[in-house]
Amino acid sequence: MPKKTKIKLELSRRDFLTVAAAAAGSVVAAQALTVGPLSPFSLLKQNQIQGEAGQKHGDSKYRWGMIINLDKCIGCEYCLRACSATNDVASDRPWNIVVAEQNSSGYPFFFSRPCLHCQEAPCVEVCPVKATYRREDGLIVMDYDRCIGCRYCEVACPYDARRFNWEERAKGNEFIPTWGIAEVPRRPRGVVEKCTFCIHRIDDGLKQGLMPGEHPEATPACVNICPVGARIFGNLNDPNSRISHELQANATIRLREELGTEPVVYYIPPKEGL
Amino acid sequence: MATSTLRQKYPSISPGLLAWLGFIAVLLTIGLAAAFEVFRRGLVVTNMSDLVPWGLWITIDLSAIALGAGAFTLSAVVYLFGLKKFQSIVRLAVYVGFIGYTTALLTLIMDIGRPDRFWHPWVYWNIHSVLWEITWCITIYLTIMILEFAPVVLEAKFFDRWPWLRQVAHSMHKIAPVLALLGLLISLLHQSSLGATYGIIKSRPIWFKPSMPIMFILSAVAVGPALTMAVAFVLEWITGKRAISHDILRIIARASGLTLLVYAYIRFWDLAAVSYYGRTPAVSEALHALNSQTPYTFGFWVGEMIIGILIPVLMFLLPRYNQRPVNLVLGAFCAMLGIIFNRWNVTVTGLFVPVNFSPGTLYRLPAGEYLPGLVEWSIAVGIIGYIMLMLTLGVRYLPLFPKGEAHKF
Repeated sequence: MPKKTKIKLELSRRDFLTVAAAAAGSVVAAQALTVGPLSPFSLLKQNQIQGEAGQKHGDSKYRWGMIINLDKCIGCEYCLRACSATNDVASDRPWNIVVAEQNSSGYPFFFSRPCLHCQEAPCVEVCPVKATYRREDGLIVMDYDRCIGCRYCEVACPYDARRFNWEERAKGNEFIPTWGIAEVPRRPRGVVEKCTFCIHRIDDGLKQGLMPGEHPEATPACVNICPVGARIFGNLNDPNSRISHELQANATIRLREELGTEPVVYYIPPKEGL
Repeated sequence: MATSTLRQKYPSISPGLLAWLGFIAVLLTIGLAAAFEVFRRGLVVTNMSDLVPWGLWITIDLSAIALGAGAFTLSAVVYLFGLKKFQSIVRLAVYVGFIGYTTALLTLIMDIGRPDRFWHPWVYWNIHSVLWEITWCITIYLTIMILEFAPVVLEAKFFDRWPWLRQVAHSMHKIAPVLALLGLLISLLHQSSLGATYGIIKSRPIWFKPSMPIMFILSAVAVGPALTMAVAFVLEWITGKRAISHDILRIIARASGLTLLVYAYIRFWDLAAVSYYGRTPAVSEALHALNSQTPYTFGFWVGEMIIGILIPVLMFLLPRYNQRPVNLVLGAFCAMLGIIFNRWNVTVTGLFVPVNFSPGTLYRLPAGEYLPGLVEWSIAVGIIGYIMLMLTLGVRYLPLFPKGEAHKF
């Protein structure tokens, strides 16, 4: 009998050590894999939280944003037309839409929507080739030479802000030259396209020492043309810019805020409410 | 040794076969004509639009890859779990899988706007994109299948003239378990990521749920092997030769039936959680829109549940049905229809419900409208022609069924 007990003891000690070692190992492994240097997730998270967010809010000198005042908009569609001329957009597939709306108590207003340039853009996340990417200044733009035309970004965009070139477009553009001239090349068949906040103007303007949002040459076409000044454009990272002041002074909303896409386009609701 | 199959004489081409090849040629011609039209004029020839940017072709991709899942499942069963008695069907399974994956790639080439840039995902990486991961996995897995299958091709009579190739083929047999392991990992990854493609899209409430990848992989594991089983039966009927024992095929059918039950269970809880217990306003709205414009609920119950799950489960599991091969083939056919129906339902119905972003109450994007156009159907016809051609050529010229004890790799 004692012999048997001894064997039992020995076995259980070995078991105990094995279990203890396994447990300790698991804890170490779990630690290393979740928060430690081995963790792919911690790495991703760090990039997301520190790297990108840092860029978003502080590091970069510029972060472009827009305010659209729904209380002022008269639904003239000038923004749509100027945009379509400047960026040579097909008239049946505008980047910038203007529609008649009404609030919950039936009061009519007009609603317009460029690309919202989400700082956590679903289209950037899903693109298999990084043809859509986020610039340091927060703009979401495309490399039309890289896009393969899979249209996943179109499927993923929560705001229907993307358009695909289903065919080679016929010559001509009904908005040119009345509403402006084409400042960027037309996109080829088979790629997706989107609003850029007129980056060509922003980039050229900054090179010439102009400030986008203040100098028309450096400001998006839709903002310049608005006859009632319903659109304000500018640098969100500059606390003294007009857009920053307006954001301070007005209550604003963003579209589908609950998705966490962090658009840089803010809306001032009509004073009758939404 | 494998060489025993080499001396076999192929029968000359009979009138029946000639007619069959002629039929395939017609299908392929239709497909090629449509492909030409797509490359000439662009995707405008399809019925897809900015509201419904994905359609029939994506359904074909998803279905073909799911139906090709027999390859990795049965390879893993034999080489990893060591169930050697299924050895005899692995070649056929890998061949069917190969046809499935190449089908998907062919359709994808049609579907992307810039086929000339098909190689971009390999050069320009976005590791955050599930579609990037899927592209990589599918390419890697196709390579694995080619490596797995190369020895079989090299056994064909044609390669008699290069004996050293046989040596290579023989040594490649030895890495089969490694390939099976790799194939298993890669397949588990991309079969589920295909579901995640939809499951992660937070802008569309009807898709946005974590059950998507799980339902995709389970349905693929259930139906892929069943399709291989059915193909084995049909080939037996056509060639009149019993290459794989019916016991083996029946076991595969039973396993498939059980997996379908697991799938049905997950499906049931998905339905209960998403549309009953945890129903959100957005999901309610989407389901309401779907039901008012399409026979969504009817399609779900009849297409996915009765045809896709109930009939196959009865055919595969009940002893009174599963003794007859014709019932098993019928069951597999229904399961296949169910998969295709499910992938269609996921893709297109999800897009029918438009995204709603306006702050007001009046403006709504119109509900998506989509039925595949003539060119899209023609491509589908061509794809069927391709599948038939590959099966015919494979049966005729490749030693898909090992003879006797010939293969013990």
